[in-house]
Amino acid sequence: MEKARVRRILVEQARAARRPGWLEFWRRFRRNKMAVVGLFIAGLMFFTGIFAPWLAPYSYRETDLDAVEQMPSWKHPLGTDELGRDQLSRLIWGARTAVIIAPAATLVGLILGLLMGALAGYLGGRVDALIMRLADLLFAFPGLLFALLVAATIQPRVEAWLRAIKGLEGFVKAGYAQVLVVIIALSAVGWPGMARLVRGQILLLKEEQFVEAAVAIGASPWRIIRRHLLPNALAPIVVAVSMGMGGAILAEATLSFFGIGIRPPTPSWGSMIYDNYSFWRHPAAPVLLWVPGLVVASLVFAFNFIGDGLNEALRPGS
Amino acid sequence: MGKDRWLWIAIAAVLLSCLLLTCFGGVAYWAYDKLQLGRPEEAERPGPPTPTLQPTPTPTQRVVRREAVLNLPGGEPPTLDPALAQDVTSAGYIVEIFSGLVTLNPDLEVVPDIAERWEMSQDGTVYTFYLRKDVKFHDGKPVTAQEFKYSIERACDPATGSVVADTYLGDIIGAKDKLRGLTKEVSGVRVVDDYTLEITIDSPKAYFLAKLTYPTAFVVDRENVEGPHQPWTDRPNGTGPFSLKEYRLGERIVLEGNELYYGEPKPALEGVHFYLAGGSAMIMYENEELDTTPVGLADIERVLDPTNPLNEELTMVVPTLSTFYIGFNVNRVPFDDVKVRQAFNYALDKDKIINVVMKKMWVTAEGILPPAMPGYNPELEGYPYDPEKARQLIAESEYEDASNFPEIVLSVPGGGGAAARSVTAMVEMYRENLGVEITIEQMEWATYLDDLKAHRFQMFGITAGWMADYPDPQDFLDILFHCESRDNNTEYCNLEVDRLLEEARVEQDRDKRMGIYQRVEKMILEDAPWVPIGHDAEYWLTKPYVKGMIYPPSIIPKLKYVSISR
Amino acid sequence: MLVYMVRRLLWLPVLLLLVGLITFALGLYGPGDPVQVMLGPRANPEAVARVRHELGLDRPFFVQYADYIWKALRGDLGESLKYRGQPVGRLIASRLWVSVQLNAVALALGVALGIPLGMIAALRRNTWLDYLTISGVVAGISLPTFVIAPIIMWFLAFRFRLLPTGGWDGIFSQRIIMPVIVLSTGSIAVFARQTRANVLEVMGQDYVRTAWAKGLRERMVIFRHVLRNALIPIFTILGLMMGSLVTGTFVTETIFGIPGLGRLGVESFFSRDYPVIIALTLLVASSYTLANLLVDVGYWFLDPRIRYE
Repeated sequence: MEKARVRRILVEQARAARRPGWLEFWRRFRRNKMAVVGLFIAGLMFFTGIFAPWLAPYSYRETDLDAVEQMPSWKHPLGTDELGRDQLSRLIWGARTAVIIAPAATLVGLILGLLMGALAGYLGGRVDALIMRLADLLFAFPGLLFALLVAATIQPRVEAWLRAIKGLEGFVKAGYAQVLVVIIALSAVGWPGMARLVRGQILLLKEEQFVEAAVAIGASPWRIIRRHLLPNALAPIVVAVSMGMGGAILAEATLSFFGIGIRPPTPSWGSMIYDNYSFWRHPAAPVLLWVPGLVVASLVFAFNFIGDGLNEALRPGS
Repeated sequence: MGKDRWLWIAIAAVLLSCLLLTCFGGVAYWAYDKLQLGRPEEAERPGPPTPTLQPTPTPTQRVVRREAVLNLPGGEPPTLDPALAQDVTSAGYIVEIFSGLVTLNPDLEVVPDIAERWEMSQDGTVYTFYLRKDVKFHDGKPVTAQEFKYSIERACDPATGSVVADTYLGDIIGAKDKLRGLTKEVSGVRVVDDYTLEITIDSPKAYFLAKLTYPTAFVVDRENVEGPHQPWTDRPNGTGPFSLKEYRLGERIVLEGNELYYGEPKPALEGVHFYLAGGSAMIMYENEELDTTPVGLADIERVLDPTNPLNEELTMVVPTLSTFYIGFNVNRVPFDDVKVRQAFNYALDKDKIINVVMKKMWVTAEGILPPAMPGYNPELEGYPYDPEKARQLIAESEYEDASNFPEIVLSVPGGGGAAARSVTAMVEMYRENLGVEITIEQMEWATYLDDLKAHRFQMFGITAGWMADYPDPQDFLDILFHCESRDNNTEYCNLEVDRLLEEARVEQDRDKRMGIYQRVEKMILEDAPWVPIGHDAEYWLTKPYVKGMIYPPSIIPKLKYVSISR
Repeated sequence: MLVYMVRRLLWLPVLLLLVGLITFALGLYGPGDPVQVMLGPRANPEAVARVRHELGLDRPFFVQYADYIWKALRGDLGESLKYRGQPVGRLIASRLWVSVQLNAVALALGVALGIPLGMIAALRRNTWLDYLTISGVVAGISLPTFVIAPIIMWFLAFRFRLLPTGGWDGIFSQRIIMPVIVLSTGSIAVFARQTRANVLEVMGQDYVRTAWAKGLRERMVIFRHVLRNALIPIFTILGLMMGSLVTGTFVTETIFGIPGLGRLGVESFFSRDYPVIIALTLLVASSYTLANLLVDVGYWFLDPRIRYE
């Protein structure tokens, strides 16, 4: 009996060793059921966002003043909003805005954070002190107020700048100037966290032998950062990125909640909440206000669990 | 035990930090409270109020409901200084605490207040006011013409920092010089004797008296203003029907009936509580915490339903002195063509938007002047909804087709609220009826004002209407549409209109004057620099035991008319 | 340690100077003229220019900033542009106390519920209780204020009329219940999550295994060994939360109409009340930095491992 068990474990271990890395990773990730649910929700968002024009049953902007604030029906599964627009279609188009903003803001924050964090961590000394003091500085700001100020300040500039570039006027017309503004404001607030994380990882790894070996054979600092340090620091960064995506969706909604964000007619979940906020005791509030709110919440929820799952899957020790 | 030392230190640290936190807050609160105002017994003591330290009241002290106390929703007033007030919230409190030479009655006519009568010279530039002899400040000190001279000069003093003195007092001779810091006195204000005041203005202006009803011209007590306790508005010593009893920043303002009040009727209420810290006023009303509340877009359908018991407590109020509109810059393409502007007037189904989107929180505007405004023309016919005609006009215009229009940007101040939702509806309506794509540029109020002043907009308005500061058509037509006016944001310029407006400025016969304004209004409508959309309508719920509540369309002292009988 | 602390404290004024500079620059170069907002749409350009001059807003940037710093050093934070005649210090002091009380209650609730919840979840690992707690915790972190607030308002204030919708009347009033529920969902979640993770980590340590092996009673092991070591990182969070007093309450105070610092921040942003914005930013920056410092010092005392390094 006992021998059989030991053998089974040995066989399993051998298999695991032969399995490609990502399969093993997936096996570990799958163990966290909530993470799988999260992955499904996030996947749904990306799918909806990308295929919005084909999925939405109606236009997101055409109003019908003869059919406003209708309760859900077969024709309009989520009813209609205060201008008679189909609520479901607006939610679907809102996913597109989210699909643009969340990854973009996270990515810009990630790139900045990686760059700053890696430089600070690897070069150390003055550079490190300078970058980390800068991060401290940004941390000390009240985040939301800072994002609001940044958004309000750059807003007209970004618009004028986009209009000045030939071929991008249409971009402004379609309401994407605001999207850019939100992305910039969010990444300005977001990068210091990432930089700190990266720096911490790199400081840990610098002590490792393989780095010392690379230094000894005279590899360039850039190569060491790129080939040795970053790949090994990956796990916590990936987790942070996943959490950051949820954070970005939430932050966009918060900016919109204060009226500094995506503007009509571009549909966004945040501005749907903002538009209907003062109607929280209207009979249609559950559909008009709660639904977009819960969509935002469920995505933040999803990305949080994905982060947890990744954490467990990428850290073999835990 | 030794092993547990760190645990104890940890617990101590938590307790200590809590303590520190509380102390920090406590010190802050003590400092704040020391500066806090309004001790009732001081208000009755004659002589200048001197600041004394009072024991700190408990922060949780609850407002006691008394029979003759009215509970109202209120906003945080940016100031209680009459000279500085420039917004409706501040003015709403100030007209109850202070008063001036003249005031407005509920029909918005200028009536005597501290001045019991006045005379105007033949050429209409010299006003002689005869003051009542029984007027006293809250502390019992009598009010004389000297006080008025002081108050007006103080309001015009650059050190006071009033930004509206120019608007309301700028017509007085010497006021502008004083504002620029060139003189010490305002030469146009002369004290004849203790109870006679003479004011000279630079040219005859029929609307001058209406301007004096605004707080800027109200009387303040010099000893109070220049007294040792600053800011003095913590304990304002006014002449109005109510005095300030307590003001807790962000929480509540408590007014108390002034027993020395000279006017009629005497205030019947013992006190008035304004609740500044939000929550929904509507819900507070339904929970019996407030005696009256405005009804907003979110609740209006529910309350308008006749089967709802609240329906009986509903009053719909005469539209206020405001008009919401779409403005065009008449020098910008494509709105440089009057036919395009008229087409935009025809293509908008205002009634539908007001009934469906605004849920009747506006009433349809045919013309420019609001219904409560003197000179309002009830027979005026605006542009009817006629998309066919609109398309035809565009075809006749120099652009021939909407597809030849350049990009159109509609700039509106953001901030949500009721009007915001109508913007999208209108843009969609234009798209459907005229085939034009309009880009909405929603900006923050602060940015909007900048750009509005700089005439940077092509098409603007909707969520920001125009509201009159004093009930005179001059405050609409002259200020907005005279070629030279600084507030002419549409850059509209018609010399014939200018000539008539200038004529109306000096016309002393009221009916003739209103006649001129009505003609002007028609001419402007014809040229269509605006699409007038609606006038604010207000809905109020009032408990049945509140008697005498009035809802004037402008800021006037109104609480003295109110009583409570259960 | 002492050297380190002094260095950190010396950094604080530099930090405040820079934070003020950035806010000042954003204010000056940002769109929207505070004077124009103050004067309203019908103010004439002369009046705007005059008021700008009176307020000193027409001076060169660095002169304005130096003047501000100089006055601030003497305790004069200027006057609010929106609330005319109100000194900024007084405006902030009155609001600060409200925010402090609100946050203290929410934090206390977070600690009182979050830590036991996290412990139970960790000790009953992989049972339904654990899963329920984790999902609840993540939900608590994910639910934005502006989603949860209208929903509980709809139920508690509108549908069943149990509570008032907002306002402020001190901490012993019904009015505080809803904002505290909203604020504490987040902090309960954070504390529970952190406690669970820490307890699990500590349970895997050798000395705990040794304790079990020694045959100590369960209660003994958990209180003596696990809990004491697991709670240390909680102080970090507690400290940081105290430091970020304002930031957490922007939305909540706006929604519930509570006259605290968060609402003041939002209000002053929209009226471009820069004297208030700058003072608020400086307050947040210094409390954040000081809290960080306190946390570090606390660590040094609490965790012997750090001291011996």
